[in-house]
Amino acid sequence: MGTFWRGILKGSIGPRDNDSRFLLDVHSRDLPGEATMARYRDNDEVDLVIVGAGAGGSVLAQRLARHGWRVVIIEAGPFWHPDEDWVSDEAGSHPLYWTQKRIIGGADPIELGKNNSGRGVGGSMVHYAGYTPRFHPSDLSTYTDDGVGADWPIDYEDLRPHYEQVEAELPVAGQDWPWGYPHRYPFSPHPVSGAADKLREGALRCGIEMRVGPVGIVNGTFGNRPHCIYRGYCLQGCKVNAKASPYVTHLPDALAHGVEVRANCMALQVEIEQDSGRARGVVYATESDGAHRLQRAQYVAIAGYSIETPRLLLASSSPRFPHGLGNNADQVGRYVMVQGATQTAGRWPHELRMYKAPPPEISSEQFYETDPDRGFTRGFSVQTVSPLPIGWAEHVLADGHWGRALREYMRDYNHWATIGVLNELLAHPDNRITLADETDEYGQPVARMDYTLSDNDKANMAYSTKVITDILHAADAQDVLTIQRFAHLIGGARMGSSPEHSVVDANHRVWAVPNLFLADGSVCPTQGAANPALTIMALASRLAQRMASGAAMVDDVAARIGRTRSVAGSRR
Amino acid sequence: MLFTRPTADRSVAGSVLDRSPSASHGAVVSAEHFLDRMVWDVEHGRFERALSGLSRLDRPGPLRFFTTEEEPTLRAFCDTVLAQDCEPRVPVVEMVDTKLAEGKLDGYQYADMPDDRDTWRLVLRGLDHTATQGCRTDFAGATESQRDAIVSEFAHGRLVGGAWDELNVTRAWSVVMRAALSEFYSHPWAWNEIGFGGPAYPRGFMRLGGPGADGAAVREPFEKPGATDEDPVRVVDTWQQ
Repeated sequence: MGTFWRGILKGSIGPRDNDSRFLLDVHSRDLPGEATMARYRDNDEVDLVIVGAGAGGSVLAQRLARHGWRVVIIEAGPFWHPDEDWVSDEAGSHPLYWTQKRIIGGADPIELGKNNSGRGVGGSMVHYAGYTPRFHPSDLSTYTDDGVGADWPIDYEDLRPHYEQVEAELPVAGQDWPWGYPHRYPFSPHPVSGAADKLREGALRCGIEMRVGPVGIVNGTFGNRPHCIYRGYCLQGCKVNAKASPYVTHLPDALAHGVEVRANCMALQVEIEQDSGRARGVVYATESDGAHRLQRAQYVAIAGYSIETPRLLLASSSPRFPHGLGNNADQVGRYVMVQGATQTAGRWPHELRMYKAPPPEISSEQFYETDPDRGFTRGFSVQTVSPLPIGWAEHVLADGHWGRALREYMRDYNHWATIGVLNELLAHPDNRITLADETDEYGQPVARMDYTLSDNDKANMAYSTKVITDILHAADAQDVLTIQRFAHLIGGARMGSSPEHSVVDANHRVWAVPNLFLADGSVCPTQGAANPALTIMALASRLAQRMASGAAMVDDVAARIGRTRSVAGSRR
Repeated sequence: MLFTRPTADRSVAGSVLDRSPSASHGAVVSAEHFLDRMVWDVEHGRFERALSGLSRLDRPGPLRFFTTEEEPTLRAFCDTVLAQDCEPRVPVVEMVDTKLAEGKLDGYQYADMPDDRDTWRLVLRGLDHTATQGCRTDFAGATESQRDAIVSEFAHGRLVGGAWDELNVTRAWSVVMRAALSEFYSHPWAWNEIGFGGPAYPRGFMRLGGPGADGAAVREPFEKPGATDEDPVRVVDTWQQ
């Protein structure tokens, strides 16, 4: 469907080949089909075993199940029953996060846990804010264009149909989008809250255009999914079923087509046949009895995200791969990225109650591309956010207040509105995931993540902080509070055109293991200044299409290299 | 100067925290009393019976993770950083204790820091060390202004000697404050103080305050204006002058 017709028809034509929205129960938030789900035995050689039931793994499973594949998903966290398990409460949402120990190091250690790591069926998208922007075409060629980062071995045109399909499945609500590759959204924009409207006024006075959305939140009804009720708890799991996550957008259809989701099972190792170098399946430990089992499969896909995917690859060492799977060239875990996510809050005389309406409301990609006048390469986006009380207390603490002053600032909560940025921080080989000396309850080494900002990163963050502070002043904010923080994860096992500089080829296939794929955000060589969820789903959708047709398994060198942009082959 | 609570009553409907304790109330306001005023959704919404907020209103203690020797320092520290100086207190000490006893940590540990549980113990030892050095008493025995001064140095990462040398002091401040603040602001009394309505499910919000005749500060019928709209930045500035 062309852009014109998408704009005219909006959500009146739903996505094909995905019935999730009709399979959901109107009266219950549970994932339908758990009781009748297929169950495979460990020694059944299924067609595909996937590690991780999040954005990547769920989409891959749903697509391939539609092609008749027998699929098992191994998931470390629980199978949620949202009516009982999820609460409208910040502290009570602790079980949604990956809170098993990880070590953070480097000059700028990145806070994990609730900030960017999910656990359980549905993955981190259960508690992502809901922003679903696309990457820009330029994100796929930063090395050619700007001499930074890396070029992707695929083109924007490879992703575009999958962006459109996933946007229809979530569905994404937002205004017509003028930035990057201009496009329209299947659902109309949500109403703007008082807090977001203040920020938009300020931005307009600074000459910055902001648009409503794009968010994966139903505006209207969508099958059996109801309209958003604007209760403000997107980051604590949507109990309404209005916010998109694989739990409501892909897993219901996957379960209806024979996918088994094996929850509370921690993948420990991808087992390799030492003679052929092929993966035999995945060894996992069940949480209930700690027993180790091997699920055999013809193909294996890992979708554990930027920390757990490299961790599993590194932990899967064997005589044939002594340094871990896919790590012959010491590439696994490198080039992991986060985004700068500084937030600035302004105070107004009115009670704006920023928690009313979804935390993600309006955003701007006007600063997304490189502008030499700014003094750094690549850019950032501007987005509104709305911290709840605990998040707001961290904000006030970061401004240096505690004790009586903190309580005094906090009691004024309803008067503040918050705007944030997402900086594109550049990929660096020394920002990486490694295995720490410490082990977890299964004896598996825990992950260590080292992160150090480059000068370009710091310049980007400083510039963007000034932009949002100016917006607040232009909007007549009386006072301003700033917190420097980071968000999202991406990279760590990037795709590329040569085994020396990447972990997987243009088809997400690990260079040295013929039947092992990575199906999550860890394959992204760059991250843009866009929230990663939609792109992770679109990549998994493309991978599924190529696995179903067999194109992803072709050993032809040109097919594996993908598209190269520079004649000299100097791209990395 | 003694710690007082933030300037008087500024809650949605009269702060529970700001009421003087009296013999008839006892130390803890009952859960029932709280429920019928505040968390409409918890009481009436059949979906959120499991809200862990309810257990936050149970009578707390006894401590399981911290030892009796550590308890006075811990209580003095939590009172100082959260400006709680009389009953009824939000039982932050017990809530932090439960979190650590049950190992519900946050999912990351700085490479140059011990486990969060050990960090807490070292911080308490460090506070006593600094108080002993500077004031010839342990932290709990120090005056309000002495504690205030020590915590201020802690917040700036400037404490040295004793247990502090085993820690990155700036990160230790972040570890303990993250826990103390998440517990304090998860408690419905604190929501009441800041005018936060709590869980809005299945009710939701209808009046978002966007462009329109009602203005940005439009309220739902059940929302009440705050008792004051003083700008806290000005208020805190006056204190510091």
